[in-house]
Amino acid sequence: MKKTISVFVAIGFFLIILTAVGSFSEQKTEVQEYYTKNAIEKTGSANIVNAIVWDFRSYDTLGEETVLFTAIIAIFLIAHKKSIAEKKEDD
Amino acid sequence: MDAIIKTTTRLLVPLIMVFGFYVSLHGHMSPGGGFPGGVILASAFLLLVIAFTEKEVEKHFSEIKIGDLKSVASISLLGIVLLEVIVRPDILHLQTPLTLWSGGVTIFLNLFGAVVVASGLVIIVYSLVKEEWKSKKSKW
Repeated sequence: MKKTISVFVAIGFFLIILTAVGSFSEQKTEVQEYYTKNAIEKTGSANIVNAIVWDFRSYDTLGEETVLFTAIIAIFLIAHKKSIAEKKEDD
Repeated sequence: MDAIIKTTTRLLVPLIMVFGFYVSLHGHMSPGGGFPGGVILASAFLLLVIAFTEKEVEKHFSEIKIGDLKSVASISLLGIVLLEVIVRPDILHLQTPLTLWSGGVTIFLNLFGAVVVASGLVIIVYSLVKEEWKSKKSKW
């Protein structure tokens, strides 16, 4: 019973948030208009999402790649902990 | 795994890889880009690892080769940094929109990003699977 009530409450909150977001997305900002109008001229790429990700906001993407790379290195170090330790003992 | 899965994998893996390169190289024209293309490329390796046993996989991918992917990923990351910080000002703006050779440096950035994501995910999958192989000694 408690579970059902909490699920319904969660759905209610979700719907409230959804309506709020819906009214937010109707506003047009200057940046949005600039991007949609000038994407092809400024970057030459027909895919506007890609133009924003790799051209207008490219430093953001660089940060994303760095985060991914850090995660990879961390997982690699954790997974190969034993073999790295053995290597150090050999040296 | 049984013969059907193995044969299907043999047929599908090259196609998946070609599709991954297509998605990442055409990122500036059609939906897609570096991240999804790299993930598709890595999923080909995931399919290989699931379908084949440890010995069959390690015939082609040894631990040394997988370790080299770290260097590939870091060099590509360096390439992204150089392209975005130094080459940035419109040197490579080869522009006829809607052809393959358009979008300035975006095409190279997509390719480098795909390489970083693909090699990174392959490293992750291989590291985790390797531990599984070591601990269980079973073909799954």
